[in-house]
Amino acid sequence: MTAGNIVFLFILIVAVGFFSLNVQRLVSYLQIGHPDARTGHPFTRLRNVFEIGIAQKKIFRDPVAGPMHALIFWGFMVLTAGTLEILIAGVYPAFSFEALLPKTIYTVYSASQDMFAVVVLAAVSFALYRRMVLHPRRLDGDDLEHTDALIILSMIAGLMITLLLSNAFMLAAFPQAMGPEKVVSHQLGSAFAHMMDPRTALARYHIFWWAHALLILAFLNYLPYSKHLHVITSLINVYFSNTSGPGVKGAMRSMDLEADVESFGASDVEQLSWKNLLDGYSCTECGRCTAACPANITGKLLSPRKIVINTRQRLMEKAPVMTGDRMDFMRPALSHGVESYEAATSDEVLGHRLLDSYITEEELWACTSCRACVVECPVSIDQLDIINEMRRNLVLTESRFPAELQPVFESLERNGSPWAFSAADRAGWTEGLDIPTMAQMRERGEKPDILFWVGCMGSFDDRAKKITVAFAHILRACGINFAILGQEEACHGDPARRMGNEYLYQILAKNTIETLDRYEVTTIVTHCPHCFHQMGNELPQFGGNYEVIHHSTYIERLLQDARVPLRSAEGQKLTVAYHDSCYLGRYNDVYDAPRQAMKRALPVIELIEAPRTKDRGLCCGAGGGRMFMEENTGKRINAERTEELLATGAAALAVACPFCMTMLTDGVKANGSEVPVYDISEIVAGQLQA
Amino acid sequence: MANVLVFAETRNGEIRKVALEAVTAARKLADATGGGEVHAVLAGPPGIGEKAPLLGTYGADVVLVSESADFARFARESLAATMAERARSGGYRAVVLGFSAQGRDLGPRVAARLDAPIATDVIDLSAAGDTITVKHPAYANKVIMTLAISGSPVVISVRPSAFTAVQAPKAARVDTLVPVAAQGATVTVVDVKEGAKGRPDLGEASIIVSGGRGLKAPENFKLVEALADAFGNAAVGATRAVTDDGWRPHSDQIGQTGRQVSPDLYVALGISGAIQHLAGMRTSRTIVAINKDKEAPIFKVADYGIVGDVIEILPVLTAAVKAAREGH
Amino acid sequence: MKIAVCMKRTPDSESRFKIAASSTAIDETGLKFDMDDFAGYAVEAALQLNEKAGGGETVVYAVGPDNVQETLRKAMSMGVDRAVHLKADAVPVDGIAVAKALAAELKTGGYDLILFGKHAFDSSAGVVGTATAELLGLPCITAASQLSVDGGTGSARRELEGAAEILSFPLPAVVTIDEGVARPRYPSLKGIMAAKKKPMETKPAQLGSARVTIQKMELPPERPAGRIIGEGSAAVPELVKLLQNEAKVL
Repeated sequence: MTAGNIVFLFILIVAVGFFSLNVQRLVSYLQIGHPDARTGHPFTRLRNVFEIGIAQKKIFRDPVAGPMHALIFWGFMVLTAGTLEILIAGVYPAFSFEALLPKTIYTVYSASQDMFAVVVLAAVSFALYRRMVLHPRRLDGDDLEHTDALIILSMIAGLMITLLLSNAFMLAAFPQAMGPEKVVSHQLGSAFAHMMDPRTALARYHIFWWAHALLILAFLNYLPYSKHLHVITSLINVYFSNTSGPGVKGAMRSMDLEADVESFGASDVEQLSWKNLLDGYSCTECGRCTAACPANITGKLLSPRKIVINTRQRLMEKAPVMTGDRMDFMRPALSHGVESYEAATSDEVLGHRLLDSYITEEELWACTSCRACVVECPVSIDQLDIINEMRRNLVLTESRFPAELQPVFESLERNGSPWAFSAADRAGWTEGLDIPTMAQMRERGEKPDILFWVGCMGSFDDRAKKITVAFAHILRACGINFAILGQEEACHGDPARRMGNEYLYQILAKNTIETLDRYEVTTIVTHCPHCFHQMGNELPQFGGNYEVIHHSTYIERLLQDARVPLRSAEGQKLTVAYHDSCYLGRYNDVYDAPRQAMKRALPVIELIEAPRTKDRGLCCGAGGGRMFMEENTGKRINAERTEELLATGAAALAVACPFCMTMLTDGVKANGSEVPVYDISEIVAGQLQA
Repeated sequence: MANVLVFAETRNGEIRKVALEAVTAARKLADATGGGEVHAVLAGPPGIGEKAPLLGTYGADVVLVSESADFARFARESLAATMAERARSGGYRAVVLGFSAQGRDLGPRVAARLDAPIATDVIDLSAAGDTITVKHPAYANKVIMTLAISGSPVVISVRPSAFTAVQAPKAARVDTLVPVAAQGATVTVVDVKEGAKGRPDLGEASIIVSGGRGLKAPENFKLVEALADAFGNAAVGATRAVTDDGWRPHSDQIGQTGRQVSPDLYVALGISGAIQHLAGMRTSRTIVAINKDKEAPIFKVADYGIVGDVIEILPVLTAAVKAAREGH
Repeated sequence: MKIAVCMKRTPDSESRFKIAASSTAIDETGLKFDMDDFAGYAVEAALQLNEKAGGGETVVYAVGPDNVQETLRKAMSMGVDRAVHLKADAVPVDGIAVAKALAAELKTGGYDLILFGKHAFDSSAGVVGTATAELLGLPCITAASQLSVDGGTGSARRELEGAAEILSFPLPAVVTIDEGVARPRYPSLKGIMAAKKKPMETKPAQLGSARVTIQKMELPPERPAGRIIGEGSAAVPELVKLLQNEAKVL
């Protein structure tokens, strides 16, 4: 061991020690969050880590940044092995993997180090070019964010350059020091050999070796202060995330409303779960969520990226005070960006909170709960969960919400519908159709095979009633034995839940289960994706377990089984642009059934897809209770979406959701267009034999 | 022989239409209870007595003129005391008022002072034996109650326009009724703001004229305003589409996300009737809709509909309404 | 300030009503009952006045059977401090009888202000508040659309037909509240939890004898189905005629 080795050992111990302190600190911050059991289903979680983490599945959703990032990521995975070797060799110069590995494997390993250094260098150069010259909008941020990104990218570039140069100078001094598999290093080395004598080359080697080794340690210790902490936390985050399963996707978590607590929902970081906080560590501010957010796209204040960054900023501000850690010099870590919030004293810190100080009410209410941000996030962050918890706090603890929601809550409470219509009018659409209710069938001693759950839109909205009637015609034509609840149907509370009113939601959900169980309902079909999601995915939280089928899937099955008496398939060729409902698509992965159903019923149909479609489809603007709120800021979401659909040149638009129907119909009208909007059931019903 | 005392409401030195309707109702009650006299209290500022003959024209046998400078405005306590005192000393079978802003306040006061039973907002009345029977719409006009009132005297206020004032000329005797001063703490009328100054609030207007996207352009709301003016004191509302587009302020929005209203008359102009809008105006007493699409859902809730171009129809309607009101 | 609010529990106004077999009451099956809308405005007005005054006590009163306690609880979940339930088998339709019970109770309460809704949805009579004021000998504003208090003096606005009165009155006083005053707040879950622990006093209502009784209840004649009376401006004269003679709104 030389003096150099001892100095390096010392530096290594200090650097690793400092890093461990930081890790400890960050873990202690997470512990101020609520407990949240995230250890079940390890195999699903590991699969997510491999697919989303290692294989970078979601990263590739961006065709430009995707490959770039994947190359850097895979390069890092490969180069980390080499880094280990270099660090150990810094203490024991004789150490090499060569002694431990079979020859072929070592050769491959050795070659990979050389090759990936070049690949990563190229990818990082492109990343720098993209950030500094191309300026994609989603990377917009403040100066600090920018500087952070530039520091990190430069460090990575520096790591690759010093690695290649140290190898090259070593080879310039001793051409036999490494095998021929290090092609790039050999090329460089022989070039250098022509320029200098071996002694100079060796001296240069030492300079670049130290530069590389010190840069590694500097990089390691810079991470906890940077958004690039995701290098360490993202795989862990993907493991613990539920956004791609396990569990029911998009189902809001249930709350214990009987808990004797001062506050419901979250107004500050300690009321979020540790997983929400880990999301903060894992966000690399790539902005894919915000770029997909319908509210943000149309000029609203909401940015899901900001929600997550604010969560992290607030954690970094408050957690040190709560945990009493004295590492003051570490405090500014990650809390960049919102300088005015940097409080000097503990009292000031405690005077702030996540709600209001960082995230405003306006942002929270702008969310349509469309799940685009969640689907887009490459590291499986759940932005929507934070928004939902904060909405709950606003409603349940502070009774703060847009004034127009109060009549909605009151009407849900009194009339069992978000609109002030009497339950007595629920079955108004059946006039002249002779549709039996569950009660009537029971009286006759009969039991239907399925319950047709009409939903509030389908019962009260004039346009949606036509969808209801069309679907009833299809059921009739196929000879399905079905019934409705009629006056006994009442909202299951989904809108209340999405708007943060868990209390009202649970009352309505339990009432719904009671009604359904009274009639021993097992199978439910509905044309409303919100009812479909709520009843199928969230009622089980309260013991309501039913097979719930959306009408698109149900019709598709009937068509597949050739049970639908169709007219001859002739007809005019119709080009249709289908708009995906969020609660059908991103919440439940139903993309093909509605398209297939239209094709089967009307083979001459030509489906055209808008640029944003399927799991990338843009929300119509009605979700998350937005249907009931004013939209005063920016462009209206339904206008944005309708324009995109109309631009396809389709002769008609198709939907599979009564809320989308309203939004698009309004959008078409506002656009001055005459293009009709159909529900898929209306297209199918139009093909029924007379 | 049972006489009926009636409060002949005045404002700004004029007898109000509701006073004549109350006289007609009182006449009907007096006839039903054995053909007694109708005595009308005409309270107002000095000089109001000149209007006494008008009450005779509509069937008052006696006009009790009560003049006081205080009565230039609605001096509630003094008026209640004067009415109650006269009802007590005059041995009347009933006191009849209009269910107007004044009568709404005075009725219960007089009843409490007399310890008499009261029925308000009455649309019809009759008597048999010792019992007076009235019809009273309750549950926001969704149920009609028939109420039996026992005891004497009773206080009854009648819904404006429910009784049509009928001329039954009598040479009414005119007497003076000395106003009774209020006792104890009273309400002071600081000011009376007469209409005209801006339109009434949507929640309080009895007539609302409302426009939707069918008006085609924001400047066409001038036509809506003109119709509101023609109705007298109507408020102007709008649909969400129109307020979202900035044609009208958000405070004008009627519907689920705006104001929920139920005026006596709601005129929907170029409004298709989306669920969001219907939720805010469906309970209006009379709904008129003008829309070019005869399939529009608004026609399902409208009492009277006209299919056609609202821009073309509006000026004609405005002129006709103006003419009808002037001819009144 | 010490403020009392008297309220009624009434069925939801969107309901479809049916007449009970007795034909003197509505059929209550399936109806949702809640705090009357106007009582809600009164509760909100009281809470806001005390919030602005920076303290005081707000107390709610209701006459009726045990189920009115649920409505009183709701008022407390909005922020009212305590409740008094004046127990009676039913609320008589005779407003004077009810006013007597309330006046007997409120007389000794020492209230600065007593608020009512301008009327209750079910009986739609608008008698109790103003009559109670008379029985208590207090100044009264019937159907105030604006209300404020400054020291010992209150100010209010009251709508007349096509005009408005601006009024001033000394406290203590009674005010019945019209729609414009304040939109009732929505109780938070926190408030609902807190209301469970607030005091509720129950005592028998000292109702006066009922001299007004319901003889019959019936549904009004079906509103004639909406009709399209014509096309274009040619239909205008017919419309104006109908508004004058049938709807009687002109």
